[in-house]
Amino acid sequence: MSTAIATLTAAFAGAFSAIGTSAERDGAVVVTSWPSVPVEIIRACRLRLVVASGSTAPTPLADAELEPGLFPGRVRQVVDAALAGRLAHVACIVIPRTSDSDYKCFLYLREFVRTGRADAMARTELFDLPCSGDAHVRRYTIGRTGALLDLVGGASGHRASDDELREEVDVTNAARAAARRLVVFRRGVPRVTGTEAFPLLGAFWHVPPREYASLANQAAEDLASRLPLRGPRVLFAGAPVDGTALHAAVEARGAVVVDELTAWTSAASGDDIRCGDDPVAALADAYRESIGPRLPAAMMHARFECVLDHVDAVVVSLPDDDATFGWDYPALRDRLSARGLPHVVLRVDPHRVLTPADGARLDSLIEAADRRHRAQHG
Amino acid sequence: MADKQLAVTAAASAFQKDWFAQLRHRVFDQREPYALVQADVPFELFDLLDVPAVSNQWWAAVIAAKQQAPGLLDAMAADGLHDGLCRYCSLGYASMRYRGAASPPWGGLPPPRLLCARLTCDCIQRVFSLWAEACGAEFVAIDHAGACELHPEWWTMGRQRWRDLVEPHRLAFTVAALEALVERLEAVSGRRLDLDALRNRLDRVNHQEEIFDEVRGLIAGAPICPVRMNEQITNVMATQWVRGSDWALSHARAFRDEVKHRVDTGAAACPGERVRLMWVGAGLWHDTDFYTAFEASHGAVFVWSMYLAFGPDGYIRYGLDDPMAALASRTASFNEYLHNPPWAPDWIAHQARQHRIDAAVVLRPRSMKPSATGRLFIERALERIGVPVLPIEADVVDARAWDPAAARMSVRAFLDERVAA
Repeated sequence: MSTAIATLTAAFAGAFSAIGTSAERDGAVVVTSWPSVPVEIIRACRLRLVVASGSTAPTPLADAELEPGLFPGRVRQVVDAALAGRLAHVACIVIPRTSDSDYKCFLYLREFVRTGRADAMARTELFDLPCSGDAHVRRYTIGRTGALLDLVGGASGHRASDDELREEVDVTNAARAAARRLVVFRRGVPRVTGTEAFPLLGAFWHVPPREYASLANQAAEDLASRLPLRGPRVLFAGAPVDGTALHAAVEARGAVVVDELTAWTSAASGDDIRCGDDPVAALADAYRESIGPRLPAAMMHARFECVLDHVDAVVVSLPDDDATFGWDYPALRDRLSARGLPHVVLRVDPHRVLTPADGARLDSLIEAADRRHRAQHG
Repeated sequence: MADKQLAVTAAASAFQKDWFAQLRHRVFDQREPYALVQADVPFELFDLLDVPAVSNQWWAAVIAAKQQAPGLLDAMAADGLHDGLCRYCSLGYASMRYRGAASPPWGGLPPPRLLCARLTCDCIQRVFSLWAEACGAEFVAIDHAGACELHPEWWTMGRQRWRDLVEPHRLAFTVAALEALVERLEAVSGRRLDLDALRNRLDRVNHQEEIFDEVRGLIAGAPICPVRMNEQITNVMATQWVRGSDWALSHARAFRDEVKHRVDTGAAACPGERVRLMWVGAGLWHDTDFYTAFEASHGAVFVWSMYLAFGPDGYIRYGLDDPMAALASRTASFNEYLHNPPWAPDWIAHQARQHRIDAAVVLRPRSMKPSATGRLFIERALERIGVPVLPIEADVVDARAWDPAAARMSVRAFLDERVAA
């Protein structure tokens, strides 16, 4: 593994777990539950974003407070850290309203403070993201994005000017361009596994943009010399994943995960943001499209359709806490069937070890995908 | 099913059945439009623009009460919809999507012209989009702005200080959303909304909810509960769906008068009342006899549910200079108050005190995400004021995993061990 790849991988995986170990370092951090908070605003206000993700780390404090089966692992991690006092010294906690679970997380965190169940916790704020397409919704989202700028500016003591925001957008666009270079190695005949690529793209949220662009460009140079990977290509659909355990389970069976519908990677490597006269409006518009479960089904389907031509099988992740993506499944199944694409539905937490039955189903899927892949590509 | 103790209850049930028959006549025979809507949308706008509105939750409750849900739920599962998805909000969709899987009550829903829902929970957008597609109708979404300023004692602010209760940006957002809805309704009906008529309607709704406030006070203050919770719900909800109408006001008064008469004459829902119970959550529509099952054995009466109590606390808005803003202030947070912290725990604890509640049964509906969250806070708030809590896992419309005997046994054990002691 090259230095650039190792650095980015560590930055993706270690950022949230490091919170709570240094009050001084935490003071420059905004913690969030999903990568749909405009990172440009956080950085232009001279703070750093850390995005929580699910993991196998136990969450005993959260488990005592959160109803079972309703919250994804990433929310459980945030709540556990908050109750343990690990979020006491961060500049602030910003919960984006990407899902009902995130909104409830915001309400719960506020309630823990109000009722004295957690007294050492930084201020928690909501970044509201309505998702329907009416003009008043856009106006509202721009207003809330402006409020986020005020709030983060207040937490840091430096409210970024429009010019500073534009500059941050520019350097972040350069980081996006570097991320897109990495994505190239997942397209066509891939040269990088999903297990390796996901952290490289996910690090976009944690690493300052100039540094990220440099490291990602170096990583792209490294990947260019790799041999093509010949296994069948797999797409992750359903609830967005936020880690690599499921990638590893699939790739241990000889396949390559070439895409996953999640803001962690798609927003990192998405289109550049064009500021125009109003950088706040540009950011509001861009981030409305990366919000996850509240994203309108039609937008999700459009993104999904773009990818299907380049994959041999689909894994649909519908964990226990899913309230949304399961509704898309019958239509998704029919579309995959019409294309002759095999798929499997997994109902487990994607961070957990697969059950033997799920493992066997995944084996069957990869075998079917391999047959299809060989038939089409020799 | 337990006998009805109030004459008005039969009148409310008859009204609903007749209303539905008239709706079918208007839609099938006169080709008039109607709307299928979530329970938390502003029905007043639909009524004033002469687009009849059927509540999704009411229809789901009717299907469940008629024991027609299992066939539909099996059909959903067979189509690949997993069992963690909300059944309450989707049973109506299933009744149209999987025709033939059950016998639809009262002839079934006619095809709507439009559907309308607030996007309060992640599933709503999906369910209503699928539903609109299944019946070729338009879906009008009322997007929901999240609250940032959280006022625990919301019920003390809603009537007079609703502009302080709802942040200005959320109020403006909700007004815009309602104006967009009005635009669609006007296009469907060919009528124009008269703001004076809206003001008048909201004034009448205030009056109706004031009557419900009297009823709540009568029930809370009476030495023994004069009216069973089931009958409270039937009378209140039949009225709320057509709130502010002539029938609604007349029925609310009749309900109040009959309850008052029962209080004055010492009539009791359960003459041997010894334990006053509170039900927290949506109604258990497939087994409403559950609520009267502990009267004979333990003198335990369900006195309180959210359905009556939320009327006065959630609906009344004084100061109707800008009626759309007043309506928006009610719509903006509506069902959040019923389930989530900081709103629900304090309110429900306050209600428990006011109604001299001895014990609470709290629904744990795993597949209904919005009402499944927040319940731990509610349970703790009740225990903190000395009200023992029995959580009970159930789905309000899905009886397939419901064991009526086991559920009754657990309540009896709870009453014996935690309440009688």
